[in-house]
Parts: sequence; structure tokens; C-alpha cells
Amino acid sequence: MTVNEALPLAVLASSFLPGLFIFALPEQRVILRSALNLLGAVSKLIFVILLLDGVAGGEQYGFRHTVLPGIELVFKADALALLFVTLSTVLWLFTTVYAIGYLEDSPHRSRFFGFFSLCVTATVGLAMAGNLYTFFVFYELLTLSTFPLVVHRGTPQAMRGGMVYLAYTLAGGAVLLTGIVWLHALAGTPEFAHGGYLSAQAALHPTQLSIAFLLLIIGVGVKAAIVPLHGWLPQAMVAPAPVSALLHAVAVVKAGAFGVARIVYEVYGVEYAQALGLLAPLAIAAAITIVWGSFRALFQDDLKKRLAYSTVSQVSYIVLGVALFGPVGTIGGLVHLVHQGIMKITLFFCAGNYAETLGLHKVSDLDGAGRRMPLTSIAFSIAAFGMIGVAPTAGYVSKWYLGEGGLAAGMDWVVAVLWTSSLLNAAYFLPILYRLWFRPAPAVWPAEHIPARGWRETEWLLLLPPLVTAAAVLVAGLAAETDWSPLAWAKLIADREYLHWSP
Amino acid sequence: MVALSLAGSLLLPVLLAAMLPWPSLRRVGLGLAPLAPLPALGLAVWPTAEVVLDLPAVLLGTRLGLDETGRLFLLFTALTWLAAGLYARAYLAEDARRTRFWAFFLATQAGNLGVCLALDLGSFYTFFALMTFAAYGLVVHTGSAEAWRAGRIYLMLAVLGEVTLLAGLMMAAHAAGSLLVADLRATALPPLAAVLVVAGLGVKVGLPLLHMWLPLAHPVAPVPASAVLSGVMLKAGLLGWLRFLPLGQQALPELGATLMVLGLVAMFYGVAVGLAQRDIKVVLAYSSVSQLGFMTLGVGAGLLAPGLWPGLLPAIGLYALHHALAKSALFLGAGVALRAGGCAWVLTGLALPALALAGAPLTGGELAKAALKGALAGLPPPWAELTHLALPLAAVGTTLLMARLLWLASRLQGNAGATGLVPSWLVWTALGLVLPWAMTPGSSAAWASLTSALWPILAGIALAMIAVRLRLSAPTIPPGDLLVPLERTWLGLMRLRQARVASFEG
Repeated sequence: MTVNEALPLAVLASSFLPGLFIFALPEQRVILRSALNLLGAVSKLIFVILLLDGVAGGEQYGFRHTVLPGIELVFKADALALLFVTLSTVLWLFTTVYAIGYLEDSPHRSRFFGFFSLCVTATVGLAMAGNLYTFFVFYELLTLSTFPLVVHRGTPQAMRGGMVYLAYTLAGGAVLLTGIVWLHALAGTPEFAHGGYLSAQAALHPTQLSIAFLLLIIGVGVKAAIVPLHGWLPQAMVAPAPVSALLHAVAVVKAGAFGVARIVYEVYGVEYAQALGLLAPLAIAAAITIVWGSFRALFQDDLKKRLAYSTVSQVSYIVLGVALFGPVGTIGGLVHLVHQGIMKITLFFCAGNYAETLGLHKVSDLDGAGRRMPLTSIAFSIAAFGMIGVAPTAGYVSKWYLGEGGLAAGMDWVVAVLWTSSLLNAAYFLPILYRLWFRPAPAVWPAEHIPARGWRETEWLLLLPPLVTAAAVLVAGLAAETDWSPLAWAKLIADREYLHWSP
Repeated sequence: MVALSLAGSLLLPVLLAAMLPWPSLRRVGLGLAPLAPLPALGLAVWPTAEVVLDLPAVLLGTRLGLDETGRLFLLFTALTWLAAGLYARAYLAEDARRTRFWAFFLATQAGNLGVCLALDLGSFYTFFALMTFAAYGLVVHTGSAEAWRAGRIYLMLAVLGEVTLLAGLMMAAHAAGSLLVADLRATALPPLAAVLVVAGLGVKVGLPLLHMWLPLAHPVAPVPASAVLSGVMLKAGLLGWLRFLPLGQQALPELGATLMVLGLVAMFYGVAVGLAQRDIKVVLAYSSVSQLGFMTLGVGAGLLAPGLWPGLLPAIGLYALHHALAKSALFLGAGVALRAGGCAWVLTGLALPALALAGAPLTGGELAKAALKGALAGLPPPWAELTHLALPLAAVGTTLLMARLLWLASRLQGNAGATGLVPSWLVWTALGLVLPWAMTPGSSAAWASLTSALWPILAGIALAMIAVRLRLSAPTIPPGDLLVPLERTWLGLMRLRQARVASFEG
């Protein structure tokens, strides 16, 4: 086994093995468990940095294992995979730190962190999956490893939310499998290829391919929460804050959006999908989701629910970008995969901080919280402005590229969708900021669990992760044109996906 | 060196604002805060050729710098912020929330100065957004019920303007294939992009119907904040028009004609509604709506007849400079009048910039109006005749409005000390009278138009005296005019909806 084969496996193992150990650990071994978690997260980060450096230089990383004749488990760490792997790895590190602080002294922590590690393993595996079969395996593993996290609290409400989640995602998985099998019958299951492997086999039946496309998109669309497949997402809000953060920013919804990207770019090929007329309906579905999610968010008083509907809307920015024919739209969609991740995780960390520190769960309870928790609220404000798309945040860069991509693709209506969505985003985020900063605080907080001490408005483990990710939101926007920004990486991918592109 | 002072003029306000939350640095930060615009002022008056600082790694590729238009705007922007800052030190000396005020003041200032220095779409939009959102803190500073309402309306319209502007800029950048203002000016702009840019920035400029935030926000903000809001921040929208519209390059006749009509409407509508006000700061806000109409008229003329642009641009620039100086002096003076009462010396101090605003002979206003009139004379019919008729009539209106202002000010009862406010106000008023002359090389032409400048003033004063003699009283129109029925309709609809929901549930 060469280094180029071993490195992707090392990325997988760095969360899988600690996860297995943690399951076996007794509940009270806090220090050992935390050490294992952090060891896994940090070593994964190191492996990913090595991969990034190699792929930027043109190196090929991959590993294959034949399960049955014709069915291969393939891992491939290409530029697109690494976009998602890097996001997951970095955010996993922060979420681990946050979760250690968040779950202090709560029961079943070994179970929680065990599944937490499995969940990230599944995400990374899915990102590096080199064919549809491998993708499916990890897609289902992700469903199974996140379910115990959603129902972690074990309350009737949590169980109900979990069951809804399971019903949606398993049904989606079944549809996805149908599509994969159909395609397998038509063209086998070769490796993902730049420009798509189906485009090379022009003799195939376009109608069948279109139906298979629909099935695949519905399958991954459940996790990407494309309307009307989004019903599980607000229900899954019963999960603890770090899980919500992970579900929304990284693992689950992004797995869906990433699946859309893989299917469009490397199964069908963006140019072939365009020729089949599949991209325009996808773009329209994304546009409807963007507006509908934002609209529903307006009416949610529960902070996490409002953020959940916001996720429904924002993830479809990614789908929209993928569906816009042309490299500019691709860049917009892919860069938003990262940008939405860091913005949304910041918002969920902050929502968790308000709940854990002061017992605030509703938007209408947040009056004056900015004075009591200024650092958390600054982080929240930065991320919220990012979601609206105000410069100089990361969200502005995404929105700019999506708008330009729409214009380049001849779909001028995309600008109108962005206009509407930005207005709605402002309409549901600015009132929160107004309450945080400008309203007087109540005499007593509903449930002040963590008293303030000087600059320490809450536990350091809860405070530092949102501050770092909020800073990243600013840096990703301000330094968008540097060589190591998410934007630069998205440009690299677009460069490699549009082999035949001529403007 | 120049690049350093460019960066310094943007960073100093931000740095000072960042010092304020820290108790140990707060004293120093507050002490230096009024001087924050000094580097920018230095940059504006430093005699160099064009300044350009390219920062390709920042945002989507940033270019900051100064061209002739930018230099003029930077000059009066920095000066006005300096005057307002020095005034604010005294004005807010007793205010318990002054640290918060200064933080927003400095952040808004950084945005405003940045707008003058931005030579690409991305950084313009960034600074514009910073200015807009930070100014919310100035509008709601007092925390009164009116302030919250004004803040809400301000924010709603401002966000609408921001996203509309961004949509327009996206289309413009797509057409130009570049984010640089220089490339944009050399490209034919799709008409829809131009409309979006005009409307998006029109919220700031206070185009009719988009003006409704203005008479609410200006009066509730603390006086130094009103001075910069009305004096210079409205002009950030104007500067955006000058930057992004294909003025002098491409004719957009329909848009140009629409803009001219809107400008004419604003000129008279602002006066008419302003006369029906009781609060001197609201009168001043409506006067701003009216005055920005003059500049809108000029920009519309430039879109209609690109050939006139070389004459129009300096006229609009001079008008902007003159209005910034006179209007901020009036606001600062209104603050003195509100505290010290309408005694004779305060009224005299107010009358000078008021005369300038009306365009009385030998004032900057006369220069600006003569320049604008001269440039507009080349318009095709019927516009040339129409503007020739409308400009003096609007000057009569301005004179009336200023008379109303002085009359309202004369009835104010003073109950607080204003001595701290007076020095910066008086220096500023004097500067406002001198600077437009100093900035205009061929100002001898103004002597020629002495009579044509004089009669609207005399007519206005005569009308005002008749009105006082006959005890004519204007009907009262609530500030925000059209907003009020709109708000009522909205509330009525919401009540209806609630009633329906209740009846379903019942």
C-alpha cells in the first residue's frame, strides 16, 4: 500500500477508531474520552492538510477494494471531495470542543461521542466515495449514526422528531438505491469521472436517464431538504445544540447537497445534464426552496426552528449553484458549501450558548442578551449578516458568485430569487439582532445556569468555538481572493469539472 | 506614503471604535474620537495626482483611491464629520450612553469615508453597508418610542435599498466583466441594471416615495448625527450614482427623464410638506429632500443628454459640497437653538446658511445654482424651458421654507446651556460661507447673475412676510407624510388578519 492509498484510509480511521474505543469507555472516564476525541480530530486535520497540499499540486489519492465482482468500494480524495472533507474535519474539531463543554455532566456521553465519531466518519467517507455504490453505503451509515444523536435526550418529543427523521431519510435512501440500481443496469457503476461517466456513453436512453436522475436527486434531496422533502429538518431540532450544529452545517444537509454536486458533475456531467434538460428544473426546485424556507423562517419564534428553516433555504443556494450551467455558478454553489457551513455552525453554537447559559430558547426571550453575552452576540451578529449576504462576510462572496453565475447561465431570474431571499433573510435575522443589542434585558434571566465572571460570559469551551468560526466568516469574505480561501479551492474544482468548457 | 494615509484614513475610525469597549482604553478612544477624520482630510487636500491602492487579495479584488470626484466628496465628507465630531463632544458630554454613540458614530464614519475612496463595486458596497447599518445605532440613540419607529422604517427602506443596489451591481459587473469602476464606466449598462442602481441608491438620496425614512430618522437622531446624515450620508448615494451610472457615456433617455421628473417633484414636494411641519429638524429634513432633488435633476439630465455631462459633473459636485456645508451648519445651529432658545444671535447664525441654501447672492448656493442652471440650459426642449422656469421657483420655495425654519426657531424657549456647542458651530458656518468660493475658480460669473439670484429670495421673503401678517397657518402633515396612511393600512390589515384567525380559533 502506497502513501497515496493510505492517506484517505487514515482520514477515515482517525475518527472511526477513536469512536469504537469511546463506545467501550465507562461513563466517568471524561479525560480519556476527551483526549481520544481531540486526538482523532487533530490527527484527521493533519492528514487532511497533507491531502490538500498534494491535491493542489496535482497528486492523485485513492484506494479501491473489490467487495464482489462488479461491486467495488472506491475512495478518491479529489478536489471536490476535499472541499467537503476539509469542512467536516475543521468543523468537527470545533464541534467536539463545543460538545465537551456542552454535555458536561450529562448522561450517556460515551454513547453520544461514539456515534458522533461514526457520524463524521460517514461524512468523510461519503465525501471521498469514488462511485455511487460507496456513496450509498456511507450515505446510509450517516443516517444510522445520526439517529441516536437526534434522539439523544430520550424525551417523547425527541423520539418523535427522531422517528420523523428516520422515516424521511430511510425512504430517501430507498429511492436513491433504486436510482443507483437502475443506472447500474444501464451503464454499470464505474468510478466518478470529471465531466461525468454517462456522457461518454451517448447511446443510452435519455428518458431512462432522466428518470434515474430524478430518483437520485430525490434520494439525496431528502437530506438536502429540498422542498417538499424538508419536513424532517425542523422536527430534528429537538437534538442537543452541537448535534443541530453538525446536522445543519456539516453532516446531513451537506451530504445531500454534496450528493447533488457529485451526481450532476461526475455521474452525468454538467454539460450532458444540461443537454438532457435536467438542470433548469433542478434550479427551479432550488429557487422555490430558497424562498419558501426563508418565508417559513419569518414565523418561527423558537430560535433553533428559525435557524432550521433558514438552513432549508441556504442549503438550496448550493443546489442552485450546482444547477447553474457554467463555472461561475459552480464556484458560487461549491463555495457556499463551505461558507454556509461556517456561518450556520456559528449561529447554532450561539443558540446553544443562549440556551445553556441563560435558558433562552425563543427569539422573543433574547431581549438584552447582547449586554450579558457580548462575545456570543458579536459572533451571532457576524454570522447573521453573513446569511443576509452583507459584505464583507463570506455570505456576500457566495451570493455574488451565485448571482453572476445565474446571469452567465442566461437565467436572470436568479438575481430576483437572491433579491427576495436576501430581503427575507434580513426580515428574520435583523429582529433578532435588534432584540440582542437594543432591547433592555429582563431583571432576571429564565434559567441562568452559568454565572458571568468578568470577560467569561459562559464556559470557555462554549465560547471559543463560535468566536473562531465567526472570525472565519469574516476572513473567508475579506480574504476571498487569497490562494488558500474556500473561494480559491472552489475555483480549482470548477476548473477541473469543466473540461470542455468554452464560454 | 500616500497609500499609508489612505489606509490610515479608513483604519483610524475603526481602531478608535474598537478601543471603546475596553475600560482601560476608553478614555483615550473617546478623547481622540472627534479627530478621526483628520487623516482622510489630509489625504483630500494633499496635492498629489490620482492615488490608487490595489489590494487584489481583499474581497473580490479591491481598488481604493482618489479621482477628482472622489477627492471632492472626501473633502466635504471628512470636514463635515470633523465638525460634527467636535460638536458631538460637547453635545453628548452629559449623555449616559455616549460610548455607544461614539462607537456607532465612528463605524458610520469609516463606512462613509470608505465610500468616497472605493473604486470597485465590492468595496463600495462593503463601505456603503457598513455606513447604513451602523447609522441605525445613531438613529435610535435616544431610545424614545419615535426613535424606535424611525429606526424600524429606516432599516426597512435601507435593507430594500441595499439588496436592490446589490442586484443592480451584479448585473452591471456581469455586463462589464469586471468589478472596477473604471471598467464599468466604459461599458454599456443594461437598462435594468441602471434602474436597480438608481432605485437602490435612491433610498439614500431620498427620491420621492423612497424618502419616507428621512423626515423620521433625521429629527430623532442626536443633532451631530443628523448633521452628518443629512449633510454627507445622503451624498453617498449620489456618489454611487456618479460612480456606477454610464453618465456622459451612454444615453438612457427614459431613465434620465424619469429621474429628472423625480428630481423636480422632490424639489417642490419637499418644500410643500416641509412648510407644514412644526419641528425645526423635520423642516430641515424635508429641505434635504428638496435639495437632493436639484442634484437628482442634474444626474437625470446627464442620463438624458450625455453630451452635457462635462458641464453637469462639476455643477453637481459644487452643489453637493455647498449643500453638505450649509445643511450641516443648519442642523448644528438647530441644536444650539433647541438648547439656548431662539435669541437674536442664534437666529443670525442660522440665517446665514439658510440664505446660502436658498441661493442668495454672494453665497455658495448662488454659485452652485448658477452652475447647475448653466449646465442645464443645453438640454433639448422642453427640458431646458422647464428647468429654466423650475429652478427659480424652487429657490422661492427654499426661501419660504427657510423663513419657516427661522420663524419656528424664533419661538423656541431655551432651557439648557449651549456654550460648548457654539465654537464649532460658528467656525463651521463661517467655513461654509467661504469654502465654495475658494473651491470655484471662475466665480466672477456669479456676479453677473446677481439679479436673477436676488429676485427669488426677495419674492420668498415677501411671501413669508405676507403669510406672517395674515397669520396664515399651514395645515399639519405628520412627518413621513405618505408613510402614515401606508402604516395605518398595514396595521388595519394585520388587525383584520388577527380577527379572522381569532374567529377561526373561536
